[in-house]
Amino acid sequence: MNIRNLILPCLALTLGLPLAASADGFRDVLDTPARQSPFAAKSLLNGVTNAGRRVVAVGQRGHIVYSDDAGKSWRQAQVPVSSDLVAVSFPTPEKGWAVGHDGVVLHSVDGGANWTRQLDGRGAGKIMSDFYAAQAAKGSLGSAEAAAALIDEAGRIAAQGAENPFLDVWFADENNGFIVGAFNLIFRTADGGKTWEPWFHRTANPNRLHFYALRKVGNSLYIVGEQGLVQKLDAAGERFVTLETGYRGTFFGVTGSDGAVIVHGLRGHAFRSLDGGASWQKIETGLQDGVTGSSVCGEGRIVLVSQAGRMLLSDNSGASFRPVKLEQAVPASAVACLGRDVSVIAGARGVSAQVIQ
Amino acid sequence: MAVATDLMDRMPIVRSLEDFNQNSGTKLERLIFNNRLVVVVACVLATLLFLFGAATKLTLNASFERMIPQSQPYIKNYLDNRAELRGLGNVLRIVVENTEGDIFDPKYQETLRKISDELFLTPGVDRAWLKSLWTPGVRWTEVTEEGFRGGPVMPESYDGSPKATEQLRLNIARAGIVGRFVGNDFKSSMIVVPLLDKDPATGRQIDYRALSRTLEENIRHRYEQDGSGTRIHMVGFAKLVGDLIEGLSQVMMYFAIAAAIAVAIIYFYTRCLRSTALVVACSVVAVVWQLGLVAFLGFELDPFSILVPFLIFAIGVSHGAQKMNGIMQDIGQGTHRLVAARYTFRRLFLAGMTALLADAVGFAVLMLIDIPVIKDLALSASMGVAVLIFTNLILLPVLLSYTGVSAGAAERSLRADQAESSGKGMAGLWSWLERFTERRWALGAVGVSLALAVIGFVVSLQLKIGDLEAGAPELRADSRYNKDNAYISGSYSLSSDQFAVIVKTPAEGCLNYQTLVEADRLAWNLQQLPGVQTTVFLGNAVRQITAGSNEGSPKWLTLARNQNVLNYGAQQASVNNPDLFNNDCSVMPVIAYLSDHRAETLSRVVEESARFAEANSTPEHQFLLAAGNAGIEAATNIVVHEANRTMLLYVYGAVILLCFVTFRNWRAVVVAIVPLVVTSILCEALMVILGIGVKVATLPVIALGVGIGVDYALYLLSIQLAQQRAGASLAVAYKRSIKFTGKVVALVGITLAAGVVTWVWSPIKFQADMGILLTFMFVWNMIGALVLIPALSHFLLDKPARSAQFNLSMLRTASR
Repeated sequence: MNIRNLILPCLALTLGLPLAASADGFRDVLDTPARQSPFAAKSLLNGVTNAGRRVVAVGQRGHIVYSDDAGKSWRQAQVPVSSDLVAVSFPTPEKGWAVGHDGVVLHSVDGGANWTRQLDGRGAGKIMSDFYAAQAAKGSLGSAEAAAALIDEAGRIAAQGAENPFLDVWFADENNGFIVGAFNLIFRTADGGKTWEPWFHRTANPNRLHFYALRKVGNSLYIVGEQGLVQKLDAAGERFVTLETGYRGTFFGVTGSDGAVIVHGLRGHAFRSLDGGASWQKIETGLQDGVTGSSVCGEGRIVLVSQAGRMLLSDNSGASFRPVKLEQAVPASAVACLGRDVSVIAGARGVSAQVIQ
Repeated sequence: MAVATDLMDRMPIVRSLEDFNQNSGTKLERLIFNNRLVVVVACVLATLLFLFGAATKLTLNASFERMIPQSQPYIKNYLDNRAELRGLGNVLRIVVENTEGDIFDPKYQETLRKISDELFLTPGVDRAWLKSLWTPGVRWTEVTEEGFRGGPVMPESYDGSPKATEQLRLNIARAGIVGRFVGNDFKSSMIVVPLLDKDPATGRQIDYRALSRTLEENIRHRYEQDGSGTRIHMVGFAKLVGDLIEGLSQVMMYFAIAAAIAVAIIYFYTRCLRSTALVVACSVVAVVWQLGLVAFLGFELDPFSILVPFLIFAIGVSHGAQKMNGIMQDIGQGTHRLVAARYTFRRLFLAGMTALLADAVGFAVLMLIDIPVIKDLALSASMGVAVLIFTNLILLPVLLSYTGVSAGAAERSLRADQAESSGKGMAGLWSWLERFTERRWALGAVGVSLALAVIGFVVSLQLKIGDLEAGAPELRADSRYNKDNAYISGSYSLSSDQFAVIVKTPAEGCLNYQTLVEADRLAWNLQQLPGVQTTVFLGNAVRQITAGSNEGSPKWLTLARNQNVLNYGAQQASVNNPDLFNNDCSVMPVIAYLSDHRAETLSRVVEESARFAEANSTPEHQFLLAAGNAGIEAATNIVVHEANRTMLLYVYGAVILLCFVTFRNWRAVVVAIVPLVVTSILCEALMVILGIGVKVATLPVIALGVGIGVDYALYLLSIQLAQQRAGASLAVAYKRSIKFTGKVVALVGITLAAGVVTWVWSPIKFQADMGILLTFMFVWNMIGALVLIPALSHFLLDKPARSAQFNLSMLRTASR
């Protein structure tokens, strides 16, 4: 036995790190803290949001960066995993959640500087299995077939381990939030992520399509996803119900203000509803590429960003959009606003602040 | 004249052959001179044979493999996996630029198509992997509501119409090939031409010279005419080698110049056309033999071995001149030319042998460097030196015994000798040199040398390993190749300096999740290093494809744990980027594109890669250094760095041994070696000042400089020590030594320098560097010997007669 093999476990024990290396010497990304790198803010970042006056962005290899000077300079957070992260939500300036691949859910209580793991894909399946087994025993899952299907599904997801990603996170406040992901993955928490409740039985997603985003617009919570999927949490807060836009392409995001809901997605497609999703009007974006990100920038002002690095701006709550000239067109994944006139765009080449002209 | 007279005393002036005992002299001398005709005829026949060989068999080439250190572990890894590493090996990049518009000009596209077709049909091209806008392998893909859509970038129906052009424009944008196949300014596009190592039709190695000429004639010359608006830029190893070979032809021309300078020097020295012609002819014969041997042994002339004839010629001329000098003096005193030739043979054969042996040692030490071109250089130079023993130590005196020298020149030689004895001519210089045996001058000389050595040493600490300039360091910065390279570096995103780590797995292992994650970590680690612009490996493509199959969502730019997803990604990648891994997915490179190939950059990358490989290699995925041109250069740097020290050690060891065998006196060895050490140090300082790094091409310089440079000390000290042994004081001994050999030393130094100085104008940069450094070493070693030997002798050899018994082969022979 060579010395290195001895030292590593000792070190790990001393530092309270999980015993990382498996028998074949491979360290899973879930057991490998994100590496500090000056390039973290310059490589792929998929989620960006405000945490009070701070901006926090999350991305590849467990990178989380934050800026207190409107995007001029970025610092990298301490993150216990090096999984690819895709979304972030800060309901308060201090408390935030980030999600991503390997089913990872991270939590910060200091405005995004330090993160701890709340959940990962290795544990999510068991939560599901336990939950649905208990529910089935109580008989609260409806028919026996429905219960069996849910238990089956829970077993399948548990067996897949960390294969399935969470693709978006949204918290209403420091206690209540949702995480959604691939193949109908959805959990809810009411205690700030201490416990998670599977909501698979509360969606209308028989084909197990990916959920790409969820947001509260007005008073309603919307989910969008693959193949034109748009769902809205019903008034009782019990179930997500399907809305119909007439479009069968994938939606990447949902936004809106002042009574208008906007969903956007593949090949420049975007739709707007003024009646809570009952009817939708197509928005002429003039774009051919995927509209990946959106943000509300104050009263009536909405920005959309696309994969080819275009930005569209509306000052009438999405009734019409016009292109915004950007200093540099870089592939965009997400956008957040700092006041009305500055946007922070995250994408393949990192994160950068842009003045909205 | 004391020495000469002493020597002459035993070799009386013999005016007529009848008075000469044909059976005097050594066995070898009798064998040669009593069968003169046989010797001449044999040499003529041998010359014709070698000439035939050289003329018919000798080829110019410079193969990729022969310039790299074969048994360095990194190189072994590369060679073991080379066949599996497509795209990293021998690739030509040909950029077609539209100087009057952009690439959407239909006329441009027509030209591009023709060039692409032409290249497809060029022998040696690995057609299957040729890529240009006109090959179907360059594709675009797009995500739609229905799923993936894709096709070749060049629309199948392209006809130059505005509609087709618009389609092409769109396809280029969708394919994301700007910066790779299309210049960032849309004024040019690239044709990537992988080459085969062997012609499949003939099974022979690709002839780079022919290929390069084909490219120049069929591509550059044909399409780059005035008014065509087309400019061609070509880079790649094969083109580089082709240009080097063209450079070689030019360097061969310089041989004529070197020879002309030598002729002028000899003529100036002898003032005798007949003997000048003889000396030059014998040296040319030596070169013919050497080239013939090279040809018959199946070697090719490469940029290194092409320099051997220059050295052989120069050494030959200097040795020949000495022979002639002796014969001339004898004839001037009235001795019959045959007897004079035999006397000279007696006097100088062993001395010449010793000097040539020292040269051979210098060459032979190069054998220790594990780089085939250097070994070839060593071998062919050693053969050349061996040949010189025949042509210039045997054939030349024999020929002189027939021809004699012109009476005027012989007389003049005597007169000059007497003039110098009476303080005219060069006498001023010689008597000035004699003063270095005095304490004040000796102190001064040693002090100045010490100061120079210390300053030189301090400067030489800055000495860098490897190549220091951008572009191909083999060629000059303003060469066509390097201009092309600069254009391509400027218009395309990926640099031409690639460093690859080879990831080796069992079959189908390269798309394994863990392997991809580890490779991704390596890539990211490398990307942190200064000098690494970006990294590319299969994982990048797999991420893109995974996102692509999820509606192009950037959230899916990930390495999925699901093996099916990875399998699909790799399968798709193999269609669009087949060079990312091999057929059975067992070899995959992680490629770092570097901003330059300076030694610091390379060693940073090597260090990090080696550390990572050490820590993370398992049977499932081994990380092996290295491939890519920068990888090979890094490995070469490592070898050169080690070889530089060991070679110095060996060459000095050998020379010290040789000196000790000759002098049998360690003090004399010190006196002989110190001037060489000072020159070696100054040479390194000169390299720093001229911005020349230690590289394959500079390795031979020190070995040659020291190996040949020790000749001077051998000549000077042999006589000096013999004189001292005979009871002369140091001052007198050195004076006589200078009288007897000073001219020869000066002559050797000048002819050697003349032989190599023409390299300075070579279009091949490293030959020019070698030319500068060798000229410096030959001249400075000569000056060092003339000044430092008396000065050091003052301190070390003032009274050697008591302690030492010498075994001076030279003097023994001379005084027999």
